Amino acid sequence: MAVYKRRYNPYVGSLTPEWSRFFVLTRYAFADLFKSRFFVLLLILSLIPILFFAGYIFIANNKTVQLFMQIRSGDLFSVETKYFIVIMTVQTHAAFLLNCWVGPVLIAGDLTNGALPLFLSRPFSRADYVLGKLAVLGLLLSAVTWVPGLLLFSLQAGLARNGWIWSHLWMIVPMVLCCAIWILMLSFLSLAVSAWVKLRIVATGAIFILFYAPAGIGEMFNAIMGTFWGRLLNFSDMFGLILAKGFREQTGAFGQLYQNEVPVPAAWGVLILLCLLSLVILDVRLRARETVRG
Amino acid sequence: MMNPTIELNGLEVQLGGRTILHGLTGVLKSRAIGLLGPNGAGKSTLINTLLGFHSPSKGSARVLGIDSHANGKALRSLVGYMPENDAFISKMSGVHFVRYMAEISGLPHNQALERAHEAFVYVGLGEARYRPVGTYSLGMKQLAKLAQAIAHGPKVLILDEPTNGMDPPARKRLIELIREIREASDICLLLSSHLLRDVEETCDEVLILRNGQIASICNLVEERRANRKFLELETIGAEATFTSTLEGLGCECAVFSNGRIKIVMPDSVEIREVFKVAADRGVQIRRMNHRRDSLEDIFLNAMEQTGAADGRI
Repeated sequence: MAVYKRRYNPYVGSLTPEWSRFFVLTRYAFADLFKSRFFVLLLILSLIPILFFAGYIFIANNKTVQLFMQIRSGDLFSVETKYFIVIMTVQTHAAFLLNCWVGPVLIAGDLTNGALPLFLSRPFSRADYVLGKLAVLGLLLSAVTWVPGLLLFSLQAGLARNGWIWSHLWMIVPMVLCCAIWILMLSFLSLAVSAWVKLRIVATGAIFILFYAPAGIGEMFNAIMGTFWGRLLNFSDMFGLILAKGFREQTGAFGQLYQNEVPVPAAWGVLILLCLLSLVILDVRLRARETVRG
Repeated sequence: MMNPTIELNGLEVQLGGRTILHGLTGVLKSRAIGLLGPNGAGKSTLINTLLGFHSPSKGSARVLGIDSHANGKALRSLVGYMPENDAFISKMSGVHFVRYMAEISGLPHNQALERAHEAFVYVGLGEARYRPVGTYSLGMKQLAKLAQAIAHGPKVLILDEPTNGMDPPARKRLIELIREIREASDICLLLSSHLLRDVEETCDEVLILRNGQIASICNLVEERRANRKFLELETIGAEATFTSTLEGLGCECAVFSNGRIKIVMPDSVEIREVFKVAADRGVQIRRMNHRRDSLEDIFLNAMEQTGAADGRI
């Protein structure tokens, strides 16, 4: 099929490994995303707090700078678990905003003009397809949550010395685990919305509604029934609970008290259930051919 | 021994609680197979089942010996598929889109880019390859779909209504391309169409579906060969000696009223020998027809048949 010959020739070259092909979707999606200036701006804005957190860690560990800035050590709170809860909370909320912009277009673009059968008529399963799209959000949200979190942890460990790293090493586990469930939940939710709603603005709105409307319903339920179980519908709050308990604290980043209320396993259960529900929606929507019942 | 191109063993497919394909059984061995049938006959469902999009509720379907359900991924690695409906990513340029699809089929990105350019030039869209696919006309979109179906060099090319929405010159060009692709490689072709001419011009064998059942499987090559040996004559003065002489040459003759004779000639007998016998016997041949059992006749016969109710030939 050489261009100058205009003749069809079969392909006889090598092929890429099957397991790696999902990443083609991820690569193309990233190439597409970085064409958008708004996305680049949003990504930069999501990373700016990290600079402030890093600066704070630097100042908190540097007596000379503290003297130069005329700051007394007591004015700064120590870089301990509480500080990392604040970092994770800020960054996971930045990740939420980033997800609201990126997620809605990932699948909708393929569904709008019926491209899905073209993907699925190749040696490429629906699981590969979802994995490829999930990797986009997974990598992106990781880059603004636990990856900078670990970098800040390393920075603190390097500056604090005196065995700080060994007494705080356990913090890596809640940092990565809490971010992992948050990223998974956001990614699955926005992919499910993207598979359902084709217009970006509507899909972004739908993510906000799906995220915050149940919290309001939960609060009403609590007020009417005089219980606290309605908090299970406040996904952001449930994440805060998991994060605080993971870091062995009783309060969240902004002073929310997590005591004797919703059990931590229930909070995990809600977030996992949300992931599973989103997967069911994806299973229904991501079909090469729709079947009309009746 | 080479596997048949398509093998259906009691294939039954149910969708949305309705049985769409009713126990199809048949073997198609030709390299270019046409899939014919009226709207709603089950052509697209059969293609979707072969691609593994639908699971059979009973029976099985094999393409080149590979079970479409049990080894769907292995089968799809051999397939290039051009769907009937719109299927593209509108904001991507044509060549970018085909490259993307080729990469998903497993081509390394440099080769995918090279093949995408080649495929685009090959289908005649070379000038439009950098334009977004969404801006293409309907005919161009069809060609772009063909380009993505062939870019990765499949062994089986499945074309679902490929000439839909194309004007006559574009249709002619597409049919020529399909014939070229078939001739230039050992690719197997499955072409679904409701246009008999498309199938007649590109395929060697047809599978005719009606109400989810096989109405006929017809080998067009053999049919064309048989047509060449079947004559209808209108004669004056034909006596019994004329037919007995022809029978002596190995022909089968059937004599009707008004001097009409039907002759089936063996391969060894040429038409001029019929003229020679007629001249020797003083028989005037006033009219001579090759029987032309066109695909249209075959299709209409298949549609009228009632004996295909069990889905078998």
